[in-house]
Formats: sequence, C-alpha cells, structure tokens
Amino acid sequence: MKAPFNLFNHTSDLPRINELRAISLFKGLNPRELREIDELLHERTYQKGEIIFDAGDVGLGLYIVVSGRIQAKSSRAGADNLSAEFCCGEFFGEISLFDDSQRTSRVIAAEPSRVLALFRTEFFSLLERNHSIGTKILLELSRTVCHRLRRVLMGESPASCP
Amino acid sequence: MTRRPDLGAVTWLVIILGTCLILFVFQKVLWLVVPALLALALYYCLRPSVRGLVGIGLSHRTATRAVAGILFLVTVLLVIFLLPVATARAAGWKAMMAHYVQGGLDFLVKNEEMLAQKIPSLRESSILRGAPRDVDMITQQFGEKYLGTLLWQMVHWLPSLLLTPYLTYFMLQEGNRFKKHLICSVLNAFFEKTLLLFDRIDTSLQNFFVGLIKLTFLDTVCLALGLWIFGVSSPLLLGLVAAVLAWIPYIGSAAGCVLVVLVAATDFPSQPSITYSCIFLFLAVRILDDFFFLPLTIGRSLQIHPVLSVLMLFLGAAVAGPTGLVLVLPVMGVVAVVTETMGQIIADERLKTRFRQAQQLRTAEVKLLGP
Repeated sequence: MKAPFNLFNHTSDLPRINELRAISLFKGLNPRELREIDELLHERTYQKGEIIFDAGDVGLGLYIVVSGRIQAKSSRAGADNLSAEFCCGEFFGEISLFDDSQRTSRVIAAEPSRVLALFRTEFFSLLERNHSIGTKILLELSRTVCHRLRRVLMGESPASCP
Repeated sequence: MTRRPDLGAVTWLVIILGTCLILFVFQKVLWLVVPALLALALYYCLRPSVRGLVGIGLSHRTATRAVAGILFLVTVLLVIFLLPVATARAAGWKAMMAHYVQGGLDFLVKNEEMLAQKIPSLRESSILRGAPRDVDMITQQFGEKYLGTLLWQMVHWLPSLLLTPYLTYFMLQEGNRFKKHLICSVLNAFFEKTLLLFDRIDTSLQNFFVGLIKLTFLDTVCLALGLWIFGVSSPLLLGLVAAVLAWIPYIGSAAGCVLVVLVAATDFPSQPSITYSCIFLFLAVRILDDFFFLPLTIGRSLQIHPVLSVLMLFLGAAVAGPTGLVLVLPVMGVVAVVTETMGQIIADERLKTRFRQAQQLRTAEVKLLGP
C-alpha cells in the first residue's frame, strides 16, 4: 500500500516525468522544471459520462488529459462547431487560467479518463517565481489557442481526436 | 481574510462555536499547538527562500534541507547561548522586578501628589487612596506564587519548542504533497471549490503570519529608536517585548505600555517628562501601527467587526485562558473562511446535482459489472 506522503523514501519519478513530457503544454520543459510543475498538478479520474465542469461554472483552472477522451459541448444554440474532443496530451478550460469568468461549455468524460488540473492561483504563483517555466508554458498555450481559433474561423471544431 | 458582509446569524453562531471548540482542544494539547503554530509562521516566512533556491536550480528536497538546516542550527545556538544566561540571571529577576515595580509606584505617587496639589478635592477620593503602595508585599507574593512556576514552565516548554524546526522542515518538505493527498480524497463534484477553499486558507494564513512578523519588526524598530533617543535602558529588548505583547489584541498593547512606563519611571525618577514622552511615543507607534503599518503588512486580513473582536477576546480568554486570548482572532478568521466556503459548497445546487449524477453513474456501473 502506498503511503499517503513519502517522508524518507523518494522513489524514482521517471515514469511521471515521461508522462508529463508527452503533454503538449509542457513540451519545452526540462526534467527539473517538469518536477516543479508536477508539484502544482492535481490528478482526477472521471467515469464515462461524468461532468468535469459545466457552462456557467466559475472557471478556476485548466485540465490536461492524461488518458481517455473528453467532450466539450457549447451551451449556445447554433454553436455546434464549438463542440470539441480532447485526447491524451491535450488540454481544455484554458481561458479560466487568465480570468475568473464563467465556463462557456459543458465538459464531460466520453470514456473513463484521467486528467490533471492546473489551478489558476498556483499557476500565477509559479509565473511570479519562475519566469522561465511560465514563459515556456504561456508560449505553448498561446500556440494552441491560436491554432484552435484558426480552426474555429475556418468553421471546424477547435479540437478533435484522430 | 476577505469577508463577504452577508454572513447570516446562524453562520456566525457556527463560527463562534467552532472557534470556541478549537480553542478548547488547543488548550488541551498546548505543548503541540505552540510549536506547530510557530512552525506554521516559520513555514510561511521560509517558503519564499525555498522557492528561491529551487528557482536557481536546487532540487526541492535539497533547498528544504538547506533552509531547515540553517533554522535548526540557529535554534540550537540560541538554546546553547540563552539557557545558561537565563539560568544565571533568574535569581536576580525577583529583585529586578521589585526595582521596576517600585519605580512605577513612585511615579504613581508623585503624580497623585501633583494632582492633589492642583485639585485638593481629589485628596480624599477613593481613586487616590486606593493605589497600591506596598511593593515589597506585592513582589514577595508574586515571587512566591508565580516566579517559580514561570521558570518551571519555561524549562518544561523547552523540549516541545525544539519540535518547531522539525515541524517546519516537515511542512516545507511534505506540505504541498500532504495538501495534494487531502484534495485527492475530495469527490470530483466538489474538487474545484475545495481547491479554492485551500487556496483562500493558505493565502489568509500567509498574509497573517508574514504580516505579523513584518509588523513586529516595524514596531520593534520604531519603539527601540524612540526609547534609545530618550535614553531608556535596553531599548531594543523593551521594543521587542512590547511589539510581541501587541500580538494579543488590545490587552497586549496596554501591557506593553505599562512595561515601558515602569522602566522609564525607574530609569528617570526625577524626570517624569521622559516617562510622559515614552507614553506619547507608545501612543504614536500605536497610531502608526493602526493607520500605516497594519494595512501595509497584515492588510487588515482579519476583517472582523471590532465589537465582535472584543467579545471574542473575552470568550477566548474564558474558554482557553491566555492561549485563547492570543489565538482567538486568527482561529476565528480561519474558521470563518472554512465555514463560509463550506456553506457555499453545501448550498450549491449545481454541485449537488453533479454529485448525484456521478453517484448514479457509479451505481449503474456497479450494476452492470455485478453478478
């Protein structure tokens, strides 16, 4: 049985580092930076059909898919092209990383899924103390947001699984 | 701790009862609570240093060990150097105390005489006749009753205070992981709100403890500087003791002022103007404290109504004695944040619906997999 917190025996964290390395958002980070970001991530598991967050909720952070498949559906009528699917390594709910506005979509687990949550205030505190990690993450975040925006402008879904 | 003004009477009742209960429990395990609180204060003060070391390339573990190692070394050195000094001087404390109390009483008598000369009708009043004059009896009683107990308690407390560096190390090293494991046990529906709750408590405690240390430093510097200008003996020590006493709201400030007056009146028995100047200095520092230092440091983080604060001080003292007096307001602040957020979580219909939906999904899955 795994101890709730490990005071003396620090086992190798290589599998975890490799898992984080596969996430697009953390592409440019080195192992030391990945360890630091890992301190801020909260792991959650969702069963098929379970709501992760709903339209109208106050957004508190973004989620990264580690395994499984996540579906986002906009609550606005006629906004079918804003529905999206997120697979392993992708992230969603990124707008709430910048402000505390309400979520615009209902997001549910399309199959049993494991996700990592990055809370806004924890991310901001990281930005303040480690500009290097912050810059790399923000750059990757901007790239993905631009890519999604371009897809929406072309009338496609912002994200879809292969 | 940002408080929304719409907390209902029932919520406040829960907050007050919760605070009293926590204080009652705290008093029973005071040997652990005091080092734990000191460790918590040190954790918030040292956390930026650990993060700074991690930022320049050290691993979290090495950074924590380096910071905690320095803390442990400082504690051991303090104990090694201060314990023999305190033991050697303990015998002289009673005489020193009598000396300063006598100085204070002489100052009081001189003021009485001066007042009586100016307003003769006061000579026969109970105010002037009621003042204590027999210092020998007072100090004898205090020495016999309390000094021995005080010294014994100090020796008794020392081992548990040595827990402080270890607890600080534990919090720095494993605090975040412990928090993550706690959050892990929260159901998905309530996860985000719980994260918010933890963040608010963390921010509130950080603001309070770091602010308190900064405030104590500023108070000490201002008082010490003023007392040094007036020529009062041991200005730094006096300033520090008065600033630490100010941790106890209202009563602590008054006690600090009395202490400064006693020393000033004893050092300058023939110059009452210096004692009055010290009182004015103390009042000026209090005003600076309330209008400049406090908003700059703690930022009025405990936004509790003054009337309720005073009532809670009495209640805290009644429930847990001097411990309650010191801890009642910060404990109440944290209990208020927890109660308020828990209330929001429990009353949120959306979260409850989401929780029920997850339960239904789980039940359906169990039925599907069942025999």
